[in-house]
Amino acid sequence: MSTVLRSRAVRDLTIVLVLVFGVGSIAMLLAHVSPFDGFAALFDGAFGTKEEIAETLVQTTNLLFPALGIAVAFRAGLFNIGAEGQLVLGGFAAGWFGAQFPAPAWLAIPMVLLAGTLAGGIWGAIPGFLRARFGANEVIATLMLNVVATLLATYLVTGPLQQAGGGAQETALLPKSAQLGDLIANSRLTWALPIALALAIALRWLLQRTVFGYELRAAGDAPEAAKRAGIDLGRTALVAMALSGAIAGLGGATIVAGVLHRFNVGLSPGYGFIAIAVALVGNLDPLWICVAALGFGILQSGGIAMQAEAEVPRQVVSLVTGLVIIALAGRRVVAMQRST
Amino acid sequence: MQAVDGVDLELLPGEIQALVGENGAGKSTLAAIAYGAVRPDEGTVESTGVVGLVHQHFKLIDRLRVWENVLLNREPRRGWSIDVPAARERVRSLGATYGLAVEPDAPVETLPVGIKQRVELLRELDREPAVLLLDEPTAALAPGEIADFFETVQGLAARGTAILVVTHKLAEVIAYSQRVTVMRHGKVVARHRTAETSADQIAREMVGGEVPALAARAQTVPRPLLEARGLTARSGTSVVQDVSFAVQAGEIVGVAGIEGNGQSALADALAGVVPFTGELVLDGRALAPDESPAARIAHGIRVIPQDRRHEALVLDWSVRDNVALGRQRTLPLARFGEAAREVIARFDVRPADPDAIVGALSGGNQQKIIVGRALTSAPRVLIAYQPTRGIDIGAAALVQSRLIEARNAGVGILLISFELDEIFACADRVLVVAGGSFVGDFARAEIDRGRIGALMAGQR
Amino acid sequence: MNASAAALIALLALTLVKATPLIYAALGGVLSERSGVINIGLEGILIAGAFTAVAVSGATGSPILGVLAGVLAGALLAAILAFVATRLAVDQIVAGTGLNIAALAAAAFGLVLLYHQPGASREVPALGQRGEDVLIVLALLAAVGLHLALTRTPWGLRVRACGEDPSAAEAAGIDALRTRFVAVVLGGAIAGLGGVFLSLAELDLYSDGMTAGRGFIALAAVIFGRWTPLGATGAAIFFGFFAALQFSLQRAGVPSQLMQALPYLAALVALTGFAGRVRAPASDGVPYVRP
Repeated sequence: MSTVLRSRAVRDLTIVLVLVFGVGSIAMLLAHVSPFDGFAALFDGAFGTKEEIAETLVQTTNLLFPALGIAVAFRAGLFNIGAEGQLVLGGFAAGWFGAQFPAPAWLAIPMVLLAGTLAGGIWGAIPGFLRARFGANEVIATLMLNVVATLLATYLVTGPLQQAGGGAQETALLPKSAQLGDLIANSRLTWALPIALALAIALRWLLQRTVFGYELRAAGDAPEAAKRAGIDLGRTALVAMALSGAIAGLGGATIVAGVLHRFNVGLSPGYGFIAIAVALVGNLDPLWICVAALGFGILQSGGIAMQAEAEVPRQVVSLVTGLVIIALAGRRVVAMQRST
Repeated sequence: MQAVDGVDLELLPGEIQALVGENGAGKSTLAAIAYGAVRPDEGTVESTGVVGLVHQHFKLIDRLRVWENVLLNREPRRGWSIDVPAARERVRSLGATYGLAVEPDAPVETLPVGIKQRVELLRELDREPAVLLLDEPTAALAPGEIADFFETVQGLAARGTAILVVTHKLAEVIAYSQRVTVMRHGKVVARHRTAETSADQIAREMVGGEVPALAARAQTVPRPLLEARGLTARSGTSVVQDVSFAVQAGEIVGVAGIEGNGQSALADALAGVVPFTGELVLDGRALAPDESPAARIAHGIRVIPQDRRHEALVLDWSVRDNVALGRQRTLPLARFGEAAREVIARFDVRPADPDAIVGALSGGNQQKIIVGRALTSAPRVLIAYQPTRGIDIGAAALVQSRLIEARNAGVGILLISFELDEIFACADRVLVVAGGSFVGDFARAEIDRGRIGALMAGQR
Repeated sequence: MNASAAALIALLALTLVKATPLIYAALGGVLSERSGVINIGLEGILIAGAFTAVAVSGATGSPILGVLAGVLAGALLAAILAFVATRLAVDQIVAGTGLNIAALAAAAFGLVLLYHQPGASREVPALGQRGEDVLIVLALLAAVGLHLALTRTPWGLRVRACGEDPSAAEAAGIDALRTRFVAVVLGGAIAGLGGVFLSLAELDLYSDGMTAGRGFIALAAVIFGRWTPLGATGAAIFFGFFAALQFSLQRAGVPSQLMQALPYLAALVALTGFAGRVRAPASDGVPYVRP
C-alpha cells in the first residue's frame, strides 16, 4: 500500500475506534453503566467461551455476505442500500424451496443456496434495470424495494406460499439434508463462513484480474471515460446490481439454511444496513472487508451479551455503526450520475 | 515548485498590460491572487479600488437569467423581494454604457458563447472596478469579435481602468497592449514596453529557448479511408448538420472553428458516443449510425477526447491501467505492463513509472499517455480533439510531432482544434466549421488566414 | 349529504393527514437539494423530530415545547449532515444513510432509557385535533412560503445559485458553504415538523418504526415534484392519497401488504416515468471544495 493510502487507513481506523469507545462510553454512562463494565461485558460476550466465539463468527458471516455485495455495487459507482431486502427475499426463496422439495444433501444444499442467490439477484436486477433503462436513481429505488421486499415476503409466507408446519410468518422447517453442516459442533456456525471467505477471494480476483472487473471499476471510477473506452454503462449497472443482490441473497440463504433452518420474516436485525458500514470500513476491498466484518461481528454478538449482562441497551451498537458510516462517508464519493 | 514565486506586478490606470506565459506558467494563479480568490502564502496585494476578474471559463450559472447572473449577490430590493424591473433596467443601462447589449431575461444557457462573455463582463463592470483582469478573454471569440472586444477594453482603459490581459496569443499582445510581462515556471522572466519587443522575442522568453520544431512531413500516397456524407448529429447543445468530408490514409485533415460550432457533435458521432443520420463509410464499409464506442474501437477508430480529465482517464488509476483503457478486451492483463512501458518510452512520459497514479501527473504527461495509447494500438483513423489543450509547449510539440509521424505512417487523422496555429502547422487540408456546417475547404498550399478567420466568424 | 360524498370528503381529509408529514419532509428535502446537498437522512430527521417531541412533551407536560423540541432536533440532525457535507465534502448519500441508522438507534436507545421499555413510549400530552389541523394548514402555507422565498427573494436566488454552480456563486461573493449549511439546517427544521406531526398530532406517543420509510417517500416526492416546493407538495399529496386508500381497499379484500406497498410502488413508478427529462439542480449532491 502506498504511504498515502496507509496514512488514510490509519486515520480511518482511529476514527472508528474513537467512535466505538468514545460514543460507546457516553452511551453506557447515560445508561448508568460504567464503560469498563460495559465493554468488558461486550468483549467477554464475544470471546469468552467457545460457543461465544462461534456466535461471533456467525454474526461475522451474516455481515460478510451483504457487505461483499454492497462493495461490488460501490465499485461500480452504485449505492445498493437494498441489501436488506435482497437478503430477506434470498432467505425466503431458500427456505421455501428447501422445505417444498426435499432432496438428498448433495442436491438440496446447492438448490437452496442457488434459490437464494437467484432471488437476491433478481431483486437487485430490478433497480439495476431501472437505472440502466431510465436513469432512475438506484438509491431511492433500492430503498423502496427494501420495504416492498419485506411486505412481499410476508404476504407470500402467510398467503399463497404458506407451508404447513411453519409458524406465523415462517416457512416449514428445512429437512436435515438441506441444512448446512456445522463447522463447530453444536454451534450455529456452519460451512457458510468458509463459503463467504472463498467468495471474498473470488471477488477480489474478479475485480482485479479480469476484464469484467476492470470494466466494472472503470464504470465506477470514471464513467465518462469508461463509456468512451467502449464500456456499456447501462449493462454494467444492471450486472453489478444483479451480482450485488445475488451475493446478498446468498447471505440470506445461508442464514436460513445454516442458522435458523427455516425462513422467518425477522431473520435479519438489519444486516443489510450494518453491512454498509462494514463495506466502508473495509475500504471496498473484499479481503479487508472480511476483517471489518469480524470487527462488526464482535460488536453484534458482544452487544447482545452486553445487554444481557451489563444492561446496556444493544442499540448502542447500531448507534455507533451509524456514526461510523457518517464518519467514513468520505471514503467513497460515489460519482454522481443522476440523469433524473 | 511554486505556482507563483516571488512575483511583483504593477498595473497602472488607463493602461492595458499583457501577462503571457505558456500553460502552467502561473498566469491564471497570479490573476486569481490579484483578484483575491486565492490567498498568497507570502506577499501582499494592494489596489486603489475594486478588482474585477473575467474568468477563462465563465463563472455563469446556466439555468439562471442574465440579470440574475449579472446582479447575483447585489440584487436591487423592494421590501423582502427582489425588484425585478429595476434589475432588468440596470442590466440594460449597463449594456448601453459599455456597448455590451444583452437581453436581461434570457436564460444564460441559451446564449452563444460571445454573448455569454458579455454577461460575464457586465457582472464585473457593475462593480465599477478600478482594476479589470481578463483571463484568456478571446479563447471563444471569432477573429472579428476579437477586434470588437478589444475596442471595448480600450474604451474601459480610456475611462481610467487598469487592465490586465492574461493570454498566450502573442498577436493580440502586440496589437493591443502597452506593456507585457512574461512568466515562466511561476517566475517573472521579462518585462517590456510592447513597442520595444516582438512576438518572437516574447515566445522565446516564454519557452526559455527556441520553440521546438515539429517532425518533418513525409511524402505520402493518400488513399481513401473515411468518408462522411450528409452527416447530422447532436451531442448536448452541439450540433452538426448535413456535413460531408473525407479523410484519407496518410493525411491530416484539420477542422478549424471557434468553440461551440458543432465540433463536439462531430467528434462524438465519429466516436460512437452519439448516433448520427447520414452516411459514414470506413474503408468502403458503412458504419452503423447507432453503433457503440466499442464497435468504433474495433473498427480501428481512435479518439483523443477534448476533456482528458473526465473523458479519457481514470485519474485514480495507474499509468499502466490507463494505457489499457480502450483495449481492455483485446489486450491480455499480463501485457498491460509492456504496453505501458512502450507508451512511456516512445512518448517521454514523466515520471517513467507504469505504477504512477495518473491524477498526479502534469497535464502534458497525461495528454502524452492518451495520445500514446491511441497511436500504439494500431489506429486506422484518429480523431484528435484539442490534442494540445492546456499543456506546455514542449509536450505540445511532441504530441504534434507524433501526430505527423503517424500521418507519415499511413494513419488518417481528423484534427479538430480551436487553435489556428496548430491546424496550420499540422494539417494537409483545412476544413472550416461554423454554425454546424462546413463552410470552407483549403488545401495546405491555399491556406489564407484572413479568409479562414472570416469563415469561422460566419461570413461567407 | 349522501353517503358517498361523505366518504369522499373523509378520504380527502385522510389524504391530507397522510400527506402532511410527507409535505414537511419533502419541503426540507427540496430546500436542501436546491442548495446542492442531497439529504437522504430525512427519515432519521423524522424519527428525531417524532421522538424528541414526545420526550419533551412528556417531561414538561407541554406539547408546544414538544413541537419546538422536535423542530430543534430536526435542525440539529441536519446540522450534522450539513457539517460533513460542506466542511468535509463527503459522499452525501452515504452520510445520510448513516444518519438514518444512527437516529433510529438513538431513538430506540432513548426509549429504553426514558421509558424502561423497548418498542414504544407511554402516552404524552399531545396536540389534539386542533393542533393537528393547524399543522396541516401550516404545511401548505410552508409550501407556498418556500416557493416565494426561493423564487422572489435575494436569499432564494443565492440558494439556487449554490445548487447550480457553487463556484460561480463564490465568484459573485457568496459563501457557498455557509449558504448550503444554512439551507440544510433550515430544511431539517421543517422536516422535523413532519416527525412531530406523526407522534404528537396524529397520535400521542412514539413507537419504534412509526416513520415507516416516509422519509424515503419524501425523497421520491422531491424528484416527482421536480425539486420545487409546490411540485413536491403535490407529489406528497398524491402519495398520501395512496396511503389513505389503504383502509378502504383493505376492506375490499385487497391483501394488506399490497396496500402498504402502494406508496413505495408509486414512488418507484415515479422514478421511471421522468428520467432524462427532469433536471436536478446542476450541482445537487456534488460536494463543493474551495480551490
